[in-house]
Amino acid sequence: MFYVIGLGLGGAEDITVRGFEIVKKAERVYLEAYTSILTVGKEELEQFYGRSLIVADRDLVEQGADEILQDATSKDIAFLVVGDPFGATTHTDLVLRAREAGVSYKIIHNASIMNAVGCCGLQLYNFGETVSIPYWTESWQPDSFYDKIFGNRRRGLHTLCLLDIRVKEPTLESLTKKEKEYQPPHFMSVSEAAGQLLEIIRRKDGEYKELAYTNSTLCVGLARVGSDTQQILACTLQEMKDIHLGPPLHSLVITGHLHPLEVEYLTQFSDSKEKLLLVAQT
Amino acid sequence: MVNFTVDEIRVMMDKKRNIRNMSVIAHVDHGKSTLTDSLVSKAGIIASAKAGETRFTDTRKDEQERCITIKSTAISMFFELEDRDLVFITNPDQRDKGEKGFLINLIDSPGHVDFSSEVTAALRVTDGALVVVDCVSGVCVQTETVLRQAIAERIKPVLFMNKMDRALLELQLESEELYQTFQRIVENVNVIIATYSDDSGPMGEVRVDPSKGSVGFGSGLHGWAFTLKQFAEMYAEKFKIDVVKLMKRLWGENFFNPKTKKWSKQKEDDNKRSFCMYVLDPIYKVFDSIMNYKKEEAASLLQKLNIELKPEDRDKDGKALLKVVMRTWLPAGEALLQMIAIHLPSPVVAQKYRMEMLYEGPLDDEAAIGVKNCDPNAPLMMYISKMVPTSDKGRFYAFGRVFSGKVATGMKARIMGPNYVPGKKEDLYEKAIQRTILMMGRYVEAIEDVPSGNICGLVGVDQFLVKTGTITTFKDAHNMRVMKFSVSPVVRVAVEPKNPADLPKLVEGLKRLAKSDPMVQCIIEESGEHIIAGAGELHLEICLKDLEEDHACIPLKKSDPVVSYRETVSEESDQMCLSKSPNKHNRLFMKAQPMPDGLAEDIDSGEVNPRDEFKARARYLGEKYEYDVTEARKIWAFGPDGTGPNLLLDCTKGVQYLNEIKDSVVAGFQWATKEGVLAEENMRAVRFNIYDVTLHTDAIHRGGGQIIPTTRRCLYACVLTAQPRLMEPVYLCEIQCPEVAVGGIYGVLNRRRGHVFEEMQVAGTPMFVVKAYLPVNESFGFTADLRSNTGGQAFPQCVFDHWQVLPGDPLDSSTKPYVVVQETRKRKGLKEGLPDLTQYLDKL
Repeated sequence: MFYVIGLGLGGAEDITVRGFEIVKKAERVYLEAYTSILTVGKEELEQFYGRSLIVADRDLVEQGADEILQDATSKDIAFLVVGDPFGATTHTDLVLRAREAGVSYKIIHNASIMNAVGCCGLQLYNFGETVSIPYWTESWQPDSFYDKIFGNRRRGLHTLCLLDIRVKEPTLESLTKKEKEYQPPHFMSVSEAAGQLLEIIRRKDGEYKELAYTNSTLCVGLARVGSDTQQILACTLQEMKDIHLGPPLHSLVITGHLHPLEVEYLTQFSDSKEKLLLVAQT
Repeated sequence: MVNFTVDEIRVMMDKKRNIRNMSVIAHVDHGKSTLTDSLVSKAGIIASAKAGETRFTDTRKDEQERCITIKSTAISMFFELEDRDLVFITNPDQRDKGEKGFLINLIDSPGHVDFSSEVTAALRVTDGALVVVDCVSGVCVQTETVLRQAIAERIKPVLFMNKMDRALLELQLESEELYQTFQRIVENVNVIIATYSDDSGPMGEVRVDPSKGSVGFGSGLHGWAFTLKQFAEMYAEKFKIDVVKLMKRLWGENFFNPKTKKWSKQKEDDNKRSFCMYVLDPIYKVFDSIMNYKKEEAASLLQKLNIELKPEDRDKDGKALLKVVMRTWLPAGEALLQMIAIHLPSPVVAQKYRMEMLYEGPLDDEAAIGVKNCDPNAPLMMYISKMVPTSDKGRFYAFGRVFSGKVATGMKARIMGPNYVPGKKEDLYEKAIQRTILMMGRYVEAIEDVPSGNICGLVGVDQFLVKTGTITTFKDAHNMRVMKFSVSPVVRVAVEPKNPADLPKLVEGLKRLAKSDPMVQCIIEESGEHIIAGAGELHLEICLKDLEEDHACIPLKKSDPVVSYRETVSEESDQMCLSKSPNKHNRLFMKAQPMPDGLAEDIDSGEVNPRDEFKARARYLGEKYEYDVTEARKIWAFGPDGTGPNLLLDCTKGVQYLNEIKDSVVAGFQWATKEGVLAEENMRAVRFNIYDVTLHTDAIHRGGGQIIPTTRRCLYACVLTAQPRLMEPVYLCEIQCPEVAVGGIYGVLNRRRGHVFEEMQVAGTPMFVVKAYLPVNESFGFTADLRSNTGGQAFPQCVFDHWQVLPGDPLDSSTKPYVVVQETRKRKGLKEGLPDLTQYLDKL
């Protein structure tokens, strides 16, 4: 049996009891370590589970499905994913491969940023399409997510922006070589994301009559959601550019049409209630 | 002017209208270096007596020994025109008012085809070319190659018919025959010129014409030369005809009847061609009287011709006397320098029409205007065309031409390599120029500064440039265009130190070698092998010798030479090739197809290139190659290296976010075309069409990491399903030999898969010229083989000509291409066997 187990968002203890039982008795346990990170490392997890884990990087997950699924027909193999297995990540392919190989599978769900974002008081019902904001390079500066934010905002919906993380990504130069060199891990902060979002409207300004958002649009920055050091902050996009919310991971919400209750809830994350109300009105 | 000092030269450098930058180009052994010596002797650096024996410009020991030029060399000369000659210069931009002196910067470059990259580098920094042709052998393959290149760089040629002494002494040609020979050479040269330019072009009239004085005749070895101007001057008074008019009469279909004193346009019984009568006859008479020891006749002739011999020369006879007489009567330096000063353009004239060819940036920015006007007060624009080794091992002078502004010792400048892109920081250094120097043959002289229109060397720049680059003070300057070589580095050897501990020295030596030669490529294969790639066997031999003796200074082990191949396809892919990205969320659908004949060559020559305006290019491709114009408008890239002869076309319809992955697809395309699927050789003449793309909706899941490797896999699958083929390089081989040796040549060529396509006798001589195509792979040891089979009478010149498909399916283990693929893979340390299609092709 192939188990895909969500680990939730916080520390080692966030795993579900059901997931924990499976991890304890499984033959091999893989820890997927590139689409997201926990606040704790592999060692701490191993200590907590009382067993060893195999770290699965991008190459193994994307190109080594056969290796992961080996013996899965007769033995139990667990694949641990931060958050929810089908949350912000892209592991459908692995499950399809399991099916192809005649391996039966089970999914153990957990919290994901896709639902935990509700902690900032914005109603999950009011969220539109989720977008990712990738790190720009000199020559690659995609902004197609802008159109989605535009669509969401026009319908009054909030947009959850997942921010790029690079745990073990090859450098652009080494992509066309056989020897891969990896970039040092880095994680996009809300201030970097705000910077890129502002750059996009700067480029679009004048070209289009209507912009998806402005520099005074109300945004919510979230850091380390689900952990003890969780931080939430509501302010304008312009202000967000100069905000530092500490270590990763960060997420950003661009608000849409706000319900009074949502505004009221957000005030606790703002340094000045009056200002927030003012921003929320515009 | 016997001696000139640096200060005097510096004064001349400011008179930009009186500067002539010129190269001397010719086929190997046509006597360039010897001829150059007579120019130098006139300008006063070495004593006149030694002209013809010294080879002043051959500075290296091996050059002197082999009697061939390997590296190009620059010399500055000074020459004053006399008042009566000044009238021939009509363009006000060709001479400063009141200045009779001319500063001539001459670059002597190698004639052997293997070194034509040196010629390319020389052409870039000069505006005019003295094309030297051996009047016995006529226009040869290398003459044509370099002349073609010169015209493409907008270099104005003048022609010199060398080795007239041989025509007279050895071949004993009749004067009419000799005229016909000259006439034919002039025509041949003009045909080449007309093919690559026309008189209405920006350069004006490019053709050479004896009656205008742009063709010289003579013997570099004996130190004499003339143009029709010299003879017209001698006769002008006698005939009471203006010199210019008389020059026209002295060439072509002009006949004179001495009895009736009438000119005629046709040959009649009692008239004679004026060129023969007035130009050749006196020369023949001198030759005849001296060589046949008719002392009295000779003496009276000398008197007639106003030739006064020095006391020490009076006792000479035979050839030695002939040399002295001819040299005194028709001094080569005088005639040639006049021809150069009058007919070659000054930088002011030349840069006006060369600027658009030289500068990559907008044609109206400060740098462009500065270059166009050759303005010494504009921002500095200098092109470094090559590196010259100094006596200090491992250091180089950067040699180049100042096109605009001034370069000075100690000044801060931007040093931009060929990969510099305006606004970016790559390949850009801001450093001080340590020293500016004048380079004169073997010697260098320090100089304070050098203004636009001049050639000079720089110290302290070598560490920032690999081979070539642009030096500027203008912050928004673009690069000067890189040079296009007429030859490609198709022959390679692997080297390793005999003592493995010397490896660091080898690596350092290879770096120096790469710098010192404009074209040689030093590559480290992923297997760790060090590869040196050059134009031919001789070129590699010289490179290896330099590496061993000068650059690395360690004993080396060298592999046998091998050639580079190209990978191509012969049919369209037999299926739509699909590859999925590693995360399986992105899918590419593509096909490969061969390019129509000629298109790859058009891309090589730059006729079709990535900088073209895309609509005009699409129209051209539509008309000439029947490409669908709408598709041809969407060429995403040329590859490898952004300019190579493979194309990537976007044939999709309405795919969302396609532009966001374009860069990644192009990067994958560059990678795949550089390292093909069969043996990681470059691809050639393959067109890839993207038909459809499925993408993940989220940008993060379709970044470079997902798309680049996928593109490569997909392109590989496209090639494997399109009947892949190997291409091998083929030389055009020109062999000169006497008739008896022709049979031997055929034998050798047949054994080496060569194929003769032309065989003809050189008119007026017993020599034959055989032209053949010879696969480069079969050319190793060819020269020696040919010599031994023809008793040493045949001399081949091989120049890379084209790529040709090596027949046979490389995927079939019984064929030759299969063997080549396996050998290449083994050499490169790749997995042996054939590439597996299932690795690259995914199923839906």
